[in-house]
This record gives sequence, C-alpha cells and structure tokens, in this order.
Amino acid sequence: MRITFRIWVLIIALLLALLMISPTFKSSVEIKGIDLGSESAIAGLSQGDIITEINGKEVNNLDSYNEATENLFNDGEVRLDIKTKNDEYIFLSNSLNFTVGETPRSNIKTGLDLSGGARALVKAENISLTQSQLQDLVAVTSQRLNTFGLRDIVVKSTSDLGGNSYMLIEVAGATPQNLKELIAEQGKFEAKIGNKTVFTGGDKDITHVFRNDATQSAVYPAEQMSDGSYASRFSFTISLSPEAAQRHADITKNIPLDSLSGGQYLTENLTLILDEKVVDELRISAGLKGQVASQISIQGSGVGSTPEAAVTDARASMHKLQTILITGSLPYKLEIVKIDTISPSLGKEFTRSLLILGFAVFVVVSICIFVRYRKVKLSLAVMLTMFAEAFITIGIAALINWNLDAPGIAGIIAGIGTGVGDQILLLDASAKGKENEGVRERIKMAFFIIVGSFATNVASMLPLFWTGAGMLKGFALTTIIGVSVGILITRPAFADMIKKSGED
Amino acid sequence: MLSADLLGQIRAFDSSADCADSIMVSASAFHADDLGSIPSRRIKNKMEQQSHHEHKPEHAKIGFYDKWYKVLLFIPITILILSLVYLFVFYNEHGDFIYKDSSLAGGTTITLSGIDTDLIELSKFLQNDFPDVSVREIKDLSSGRRLAILIDTTAEPEPLKEKVEEFLNVKLDENNSSIEFTGSSLSENFYRQLIIAIAISFVLISIVVFFLFKNVVRSVAILISVFGNIVMPLALVDFLGIRLSAAGIAAFLMLIGYSVDSDILLTTRVLKKREGTINQRIFKAFKTGIFITGTALVAILPAFLIVTGLPESFKQIFLIVGIGLVADILNTWLMNAGILKWYAERNKL
Repeated sequence: MRITFRIWVLIIALLLALLMISPTFKSSVEIKGIDLGSESAIAGLSQGDIITEINGKEVNNLDSYNEATENLFNDGEVRLDIKTKNDEYIFLSNSLNFTVGETPRSNIKTGLDLSGGARALVKAENISLTQSQLQDLVAVTSQRLNTFGLRDIVVKSTSDLGGNSYMLIEVAGATPQNLKELIAEQGKFEAKIGNKTVFTGGDKDITHVFRNDATQSAVYPAEQMSDGSYASRFSFTISLSPEAAQRHADITKNIPLDSLSGGQYLTENLTLILDEKVVDELRISAGLKGQVASQISIQGSGVGSTPEAAVTDARASMHKLQTILITGSLPYKLEIVKIDTISPSLGKEFTRSLLILGFAVFVVVSICIFVRYRKVKLSLAVMLTMFAEAFITIGIAALINWNLDAPGIAGIIAGIGTGVGDQILLLDASAKGKENEGVRERIKMAFFIIVGSFATNVASMLPLFWTGAGMLKGFALTTIIGVSVGILITRPAFADMIKKSGED
Repeated sequence: MLSADLLGQIRAFDSSADCADSIMVSASAFHADDLGSIPSRRIKNKMEQQSHHEHKPEHAKIGFYDKWYKVLLFIPITILILSLVYLFVFYNEHGDFIYKDSSLAGGTTITLSGIDTDLIELSKFLQNDFPDVSVREIKDLSSGRRLAILIDTTAEPEPLKEKVEEFLNVKLDENNSSIEFTGSSLSENFYRQLIIAIAISFVLISIVVFFLFKNVVRSVAILISVFGNIVMPLALVDFLGIRLSAAGIAAFLMLIGYSVDSDILLTTRVLKKREGTINQRIFKAFKTGIFITGTALVAILPAFLIVTGLPESFKQIFLIVGIGLVADILNTWLMNAGILKWYAERNKL
C-alpha cells in the first residue's frame, strides 16, 4: 500500500494525539495541596512535587503512601526525610501539612462523574448579577475556598440561553463536608453590643485572624450536655483595626457592670452574628470596659453525639468562621441551585466499565464489518480508522484540557458510530458493481452524503453549547470534535486506503 | 455471464449518449436536481427496458415494493399518529410530555455504592416520607455484581440522606455514596432550555436539508422522518415509564443529527444516481443504509447486554439513540422512501 498525503496526515495526527495524551505506566504520588507557612512548606516542598520516599519507605502509590505515613507521628514531632523525584527534604514536624493524590497517568482529564469530587452551581438570590459583580463573586469565593485550605478547585462564571448567570465551583477528589455553607453563605459577620455594631468581617475591621497558632486558637475537649449529647468549645483571637478597637471603647464605656455576676462582667454581651443568625453571646469582662481592645477572642461551639464528633464539629465551625472573618461578606444572598458530591470510588467503577464497553463496541463493530465484507484488509482499515478517530478525539480533549465525562464519552462513541457509517458508505461506493459510474464518481457521491451528515450532526449538537449552564457542553463538544476529526482526517485517509487496497 | 453482458451494454450506452449529462452531474454535485432532466429520464427508460434481464429475486422484491409501497408507507404513519395521540393523552394526564428525573424536575439523587440492602424494603421505608421516591439498582451483567443503588426524589438532600442513613444504619460519606441535588428553579430553566435546544436543532437541520436538496417535497419528507424519530422514541420512553434526565434529552438532539444521515443517504442516492429505476436506487441505498444502522444498533447492544454497570447519563443516551435508530429504519425506509417514490411517480420522474 502506498502511503499517500492523506494517510500521512492521519499518521501525524495520531502521533500528535499520542503526544497530547502522553500516557505513562508508572504510578506515583504527588502533593496536591500544602499549607502555606507549615514546616513542610518552609522546608521547600511545594504543590506538584512527586514523593518517592518517606523516612526510608518507598512511595509509589496511595497505598504505599498510607503505609509510609501510618503511625508516623505517634510520638509527636519527628524527623522527616522526604525524597521527591528531584530533591530530598529533611525537617522536624508533627504533621505533614499537605494532601496528596496519585499523579495522573496521562493528560486525559475525566469529569466529575468519573473522577469524583463536588460541583456546585450558585446564583444570586432575587437579583441578576452584572458581569463585573459575577467576577467579584468568583474572586471572593476562590479566596474563601483557598483560605479554607481547599486545593484543586475551579471557580468560574457561566451563563445559559435564558441569560441567567451562575458561578460554577468544582472541587476534585475529596469533598469537604461544609462546602455548602462555605459557598452559599453570604458571610455577613457582625459583632454587636446591644444594637451597636463593634466590628464586621473582612479586612477593614479585622487586621488579622490567628489560625495555626496553638496559643491563639484552640478547640477544647468535649463535655457532656444534659441531653446526653456532647459539646465542644473553640476560641481564637483576632486583631482589630484601630477604628474598630476605638468603637469598642466608645460603646463599652457607658455600659454598667452586672451586679448579678458580682461586677465581674458588663450587663450587655458581645453578640456574634453570622448571616443574621447568632453564633455566640460572649460576656464582656469588667476589665475591658472603655478599653481600646486591639485583640478580641472569638468563641463558639460544636456539638455531636460523641465527644469526637463534637470536637470535629467545633473545629469545622471554627475553620469556617475564621475563613469568613478573613474574606468578608458578599453584598447579596446566594442560592445554591445545584450541588453534587460524587464518590470517587463509584467513578472508578464507571470508568472501568466504560473502558470495557468501548472495547466491546470496537469488537462487535469489527465483527459486523468482517462478516459483511469478508476481507481482512478492509476490516483492518475500518478498525484502524475507528481507533484513530477515537484516539485523535481524546488527544484533542487532552490538548484543550477538556474534562471527559460520561456523556462526553457517549459522544465519542457516537462520533465513531457516524464514522463507521461513513466508512461503510465509502466501501459500498468503491465496491466493484455493475453500474456504469466510475468509482471516483460514486466516492464523490458518498462524500456528498458524508458532508451532509457531518453538517446535520454539528447542527443538531450546536444548541447544547448554550443550554443549562454548560452542563452538557462536553457531550456536544466531543461529538462535534469526533465528527470533525472524521471528516477532516480519518475519512479522506480511509478513502485512500481502500482505493489503494482495491487496486492491489 | 449475464451481468457482464449488461455492463457492456450500459457502458456503450453511456459513452454514446450521455457525456454532457455526466459532466453536468459531477459539476453540480451539490445542488443537482437532475432527475427531472430529459437525459436521465432517458437512462431510466433504457434501464426499464433492460430490467427483464435482471436477476429474478431482485426483480421480485422490486415488484413487491411497487405494489405495496403505499401500504408500507402507512405503517410508520400509523405508528407516528398513535405515538402523537399517546403523547397527547400523556400530556393531559401528567401536564408534561415526559417523566422527569431529579435533574429536570428538581430534587435529589443519592447513589449508594458498595452497600448491600433490600431494595424493596428500602423503597417501602422511604415512601413513608417521600411518596415520589424511586429506588433502582445498577447491575453489571458481565460480573453479576450490583454496582450501585439509585434513590431519586424531588426532596431536598438533607432529609433524604438522614432517612437513608437511618434505614441502613451507615453514615453516608463520599466513600459510599454520591449525592446530587438540583434546585427546582434551575431544573425548570434547564428543561425549558433543552426543549428550545431541540427546536433550534430541528430548525438548523431543516436549513441544512433544504440547502442540500433544494426541493420542498424531498426536504419535508426527510423532516417528517426526523420528526418521527423524535416522537416515536419519546412515546416509547414514556410508555416504559422511564424518567428522563438532562442527558437523556440531549440524546434526542443527537438522535436528530444521527438519524437524518440515513435519509440523506436515501435521498442522495435516489436523486443523484443516474442508473436504475427508483426502486433499484432505493433498494441499493437500503442495502447500505440498513447495514449502517444495523451496525450502530449492534454497537449499542453491549451497553445493555454485557457491560451494564454504566453511569445513568450514559445509558440513557445509548437507550434513546438505540430506540431512535429502530424508529429510523421505519421512518427512512418505509416513510421517506415511500414519499420519494410516490412523488417520483406522481411527477412521472
């Protein structure tokens, strides 16, 4: 078989797709997120580092990582000797302060339904946001999620046919329990005495929030309540701006001492309010009366059915409150219109099934072709074209960083289906028949049909790009890429292949 | 052999009579309406004179189609009308054309994985608080394993999650479950937009088809077939009580583009081939087209017979495209072909 120009194009496209996908067969573990200011970060570890060894134990997948880190900090602070692909780090620490995940085996990215994670679609309640307001919302939310310690997140704005604007948040892998509160809360924080506001959340009034400092932020052991459940308190310190501190002095100056407490506290409390709900009421000790308080202790509590649950709840609440105090509030209320948390383990099962299915489809179609044409060469050409089409489509998806989700994969398979149909057309057109028309002319007619069906396929999928906040874009995109690859690259090459083999 | 002899005759005929016509056909490949032109009619006449030289079986088939095509035409038309009536009744009863799942009606889907429990008991238990709950399983036929349990209701996620936890006595987290919630405002929007998308898709397809064939009757014949390809599967999906998801509706969009292919094949072959009677051209197109559709259908089978542990969205897309392809066989080869033949006969083409 002579390799024509069109076949060369196909070969080059295949090689480029391979380059785009760049698969690897070695598994490894990399740092997905690292707490800034932690010992690990100070030692020089950073996001994306591939860990190969921890304290002499080899790490090459999540299991071996868990094995290496299990019971590592039983005795508190230990010497850590972490080898990465390019370097070695030795430092003392009592925790790792980073999260890890398996390094992807290729550049193919799978969607949430296959990789697991969380997705939320949020819109402003009762108002429609302008483009710049939407961008602000995206910025504040990104900051909040980053401050909260989430990595591997995507926050972006999206809109649909009906002119609605949304913010789309995607979190890969593990889902934090209070994601919903983190993104949906307006985060309007106020500290009030009586009906006067002392300070609000955000960097105007609060200059610093102590977080990773055991002396300034703590969760206390849980205590049993009268109803049998447990409660755990937390407290952390914040620094107030001079203006907010002065306000505190001015307001407390005129509040009398509370005689019931023996003059230990003032009669009015400091009320902490988050999104119009009271978080906590704090008594103000007599010593603070009229003082310019530059640091204030914020307190709250968590509850649970067991002591551990109460402490976990308290820690989560503290974390959330700290995040909101740092990032301030949004000028409107938010509504979560969609929130999905997808189990990574189920996604793995689905991915496996889809791979097997893809293979099964490939086999049955090949059998059909062989049964009809009874020619090994032709069947191989069809199989090669089928494979090339799927491979190049996936390569393009990897190139544009597109997440392949289940509908997207359905799109790829359907694209191949159209492709096989077109190849059958070409085969029938080139088969020697009793018609007087030449092969060339019949192939021309086949291409007319192919172009026609390409146009209708694209036309039918096009509206999906603007539908439903882009949720089905993947389906439309892969189908369109698939049929385009077919018509531009694989179909012409296939026509040449069968022409050549027909002349043999 | 006979066929070799025939081929010789046609060659001779072609070179003597019709050079000009053949140039015209190839030059106007994209907008030829050459059936009506005198030279091609001449070809047809010549072919008909020769048709008694044809193989007997093929001739018999063609005779059958000549006699019965109008009756055959009525099969898809009857099914189409029945489907429309069914959809109309369905709409009156349910206030909508489909059963919607939580992604279109608003609500929650919880997918449990790696948890074994009695589906019927779970369903009974949940029905106390969520009357509209539906509990299903995803089973992998090849391994026989149950991959997941799907719980679908219009309720909010928190109360449903609590009840499921209460029944299973297991805490639901990301390792054993997925929870998907769609607010009713979004789902309404979503649904409306998908319907609009189908309408736009249909209009775009119409434009493409008119552009390709530049003939009202032929284009309308194709569009009726495409319309049937949407309406018939929709009626069947409703009849089977399947709750459609957003991906399922998107599958209808794909179906529109996918199923029109065989109509384009048919119409192009009937229009642009220069030899054979209408019947022969239809029959030749049918041989190619039915194999294409058949292959596509065979390709869809593994998802329902072998590897069945697939995401719902994926399965629905495959199911709807599959049903659509079956409908397409009727609509293209009985309805569209019938209309084309009838049109050709009426206009004595």
